[in-house]
Amino acid sequence: MSSNEKLLEIKHLKQYFNKGKANEVKAIDDISFDIYKGETLGLVGESGCGKSTTGRTIIRLYNATDGEVLYNGENVHAKKTRAELKKFNQKMQMIFQDPQASLNPRMKIADIIAEGIDIHGLAKSKEDRMNRVYSLLETVGLNREHANRYPHEFSGGQRQRIGIARALAVEPEFIIADEPISALDVSIQAQVVNLLKKLQKEKGLTYLFIAHDLSMVKYISDRIGVMYFGKLVELAPADDLYNNPMHPYTQSLLSAIPLPDPDYERSRIRKTYDPKIHQYADGEEVKMREVAPGHFVYCSEKELKQYKALYK
Amino acid sequence: MGKILEVNDLHISFHTFAGEVQAIRGVNFELNEGETLAIVGESGSGKSVTTKSIMRLLPKHNSEFKAGEILFEGKDITKMSEKEMQKIRGKEISMIFQDPMTSLNPTMTVGKQIMEPLLKHQKLSKHEAKKRVIELLKLVGIPKAEIRFKQYPHQFSGGMRQRVVIAIALACNPKILIADEPTTALDVTIQAQILELMKDLQKKINTSIIFITHDLGVVANVADRVAVMYGGKIVEVGTVDEIFYNPQHPYTWGLISSMPSLDAEDEELYAIPGTPPDLLNPPVGDAFAARNEYAMKIDLEKQPPMFKISDTHYAATWLLHPNAPKVEPPTAVKKRMRKFHNETDSTPSKEVVKNV
Repeated sequence: MSSNEKLLEIKHLKQYFNKGKANEVKAIDDISFDIYKGETLGLVGESGCGKSTTGRTIIRLYNATDGEVLYNGENVHAKKTRAELKKFNQKMQMIFQDPQASLNPRMKIADIIAEGIDIHGLAKSKEDRMNRVYSLLETVGLNREHANRYPHEFSGGQRQRIGIARALAVEPEFIIADEPISALDVSIQAQVVNLLKKLQKEKGLTYLFIAHDLSMVKYISDRIGVMYFGKLVELAPADDLYNNPMHPYTQSLLSAIPLPDPDYERSRIRKTYDPKIHQYADGEEVKMREVAPGHFVYCSEKELKQYKALYK
Repeated sequence: MGKILEVNDLHISFHTFAGEVQAIRGVNFELNEGETLAIVGESGSGKSVTTKSIMRLLPKHNSEFKAGEILFEGKDITKMSEKEMQKIRGKEISMIFQDPMTSLNPTMTVGKQIMEPLLKHQKLSKHEAKKRVIELLKLVGIPKAEIRFKQYPHQFSGGMRQRVVIAIALACNPKILIADEPTTALDVTIQAQILELMKDLQKKINTSIIFITHDLGVVANVADRVAVMYGGKIVEVGTVDEIFYNPQHPYTWGLISSMPSLDAEDEELYAIPGTPPDLLNPPVGDAFAARNEYAMKIDLEKQPPMFKISDTHYAATWLLHPNAPKVEPPTAVKKRMRKFHNETDSTPSKEVVKNV
C-alpha cells in the first residue's frame, strides 16, 4: 500500500503558544518525521501532548513558530499568495473530532459538502455540483435524499460520514483525521474505520490519524508515532511498536489499555512512566535514533545501546 | 452474598411531542453485595435511563414509570416519597457522572462540595466534616489535601476532578455506587488510575458498583457480571467470562467482533449494520431482528424470552430455542468460545425461564 515516496516531510517543527511570555507553552517542541504516499500514520498520546496541534500546524491552521512542513517538497509555511494557498488547501483536508460541532447547523448537507467545491470552482454547472454531492453521499454510505436535510437530523455516525464526504469533496491527496471516531459508539466506530480504509484503497489517500484509542490506531495505521509533552518519543511500524515498545513512555501507554479479554485483564500489570529514569547528563545529545530498521526512539547514545540489546 | 438491589420488569416512557418513547421495556436484573455489574450497550439503549431511575433523577414533567419495581433492600424505590428518597440519594446510593467538567460546581471550593453530603446526611459538625473530607481526598489519591481543600474545580486537571467526584460519591460510604461512564472523558493512563482506585475502594468499603460503559476493555477489567442492553431491554446477562468467552446473543457477537484486538490481522472489522431501533414505534418482535443476519421468521413476530444457559448466564434470542437451527457465530467469537469450552465442559442446558 505505502510506497517509499515521501508526501510530507516535517522538519524540526515547533509550535509555541504565548511565545516569550511567562506562560509560554511548548505545544510542539522540535519534531521531525515523514509521511509516505498512501500510508496511514497514527499519532497517539495523552491529551495535551500536542498531537492535535501537530495536525493543525501541518495544515496551517496555526502558523508554525519554527521549522518546516514540506508537502511534495514545497514548504507549507512559506509566504504564499492566496491563490497558492488555495491550491494547497485543496490537496490537504481535515476531519474533525466532534461531528456535532464541525457542521454548521444552519446549512443543508448539500451546501456543507459543496462548500469546498464552490470555493475551488470544481463544478461546471449546478447540475454537476449536485451530482458530485450525490455521489459523495453514496461513497460514504448515505443516500441522495439526505442532501436536503440539516445536520441535526442525523446521528453521530452519520454526521461523521458527512464530515468525511466534505473532506473528500475537493479530491484531496492527504487527510488529517483528528480523533474521528472518539465521539462514536463502538459499533459505529467500526463502520467509520472500515469506510476510511475502503476510501484509502479506492482513492490512494494518505492519512494522518490522530487518536488516543490505541487498539483502533494499531488497526488502521501502517506506522505509529507516540508523542509525550510536545516531543515525538517513538516512531515505528504499527506491529513493531506493539511487539517491541522501546521507550518507557510507550511501554506505560501500552500497558494502560484495557483489552476486551478478562483473562488478559486479570494478569495485566500497568507500568508507570517517570521521566526521571532517563538521567540525561548535561550536554548529552538526545534525539531520534534508529533502534531497528524504521524504528526510531528519542534517546541518548547510551540508551540506544541498551535499547538495541533489548530489541527482539 | 445477598441481593442489595432488584429491578423487576421495569418500564419507563418519555412523553415527547412526537409521542411516547418507550425507553425501557421490561428490564430485570439484580445486584449482589460487593459485586460490580457492568451494563453495556449503544447510546440510546437505555443504560443511563435505567440507572437514573434507580436514583429517581428522571425529569418529572415528561418521564413516567409505566410498570415494574426497583427494590432497594426490599423497599420499592418507585413508590417512595421525595422526602424518603432524599435520605437514600447520595447516602445509600450515589452516582459518578460521565463528565467531571460539568458535574462540579465551578463557584464552590472543592472541599465545600465534598462536605455537602456529610453535613446533610451524617449531621457532622463542620470541623469533623472537614477532617473527613481531607481523609477522603487522601483516599482518592489527591496529594496536598489541605491545600486542595480550598481550591476551585478549575484548578484541577480532568483526572483529578474525576477523583473529586468520586470522593463526593463515596463521602457517606454508600451501599451502591452507580458510575455512568466515569472514564470515557479521560486518557488511558488516567483511566487506568481511576479504575484501579475504584476497585481498591470497593475492596475497602465493600460497595456494590453498577458500571455503565461502552468500552468492552474497561468491562473486562472491572466487571464481575455483565448485562448487555439493546433497545430498552437486557438481551444477555452473565459473568464476565461467560459474556466474553461464551456469548450467545447475536448482538453481543456483533459488539465483540466490532472491536479490533491487538493481535488482529489485517481483515475488515465487523460492523453491525443499520441503526438502533426507534423506540417511538418499537418493533413487534425482537428489537435487534432488523440488524441481525441470523434473524429468523419468528424474530419479526414474537419477542424472545430469556433462555437459560447456566445458573448465571441468560440470553434473549430465539437461536437458543431447542427447535432453532444451528448457526455459526462470527470467527472472532468462535475463537473466544474455543477458549471457554476448553476450560469448562458443561453443555449448556436450554430451557425457558421467563416469558417476557
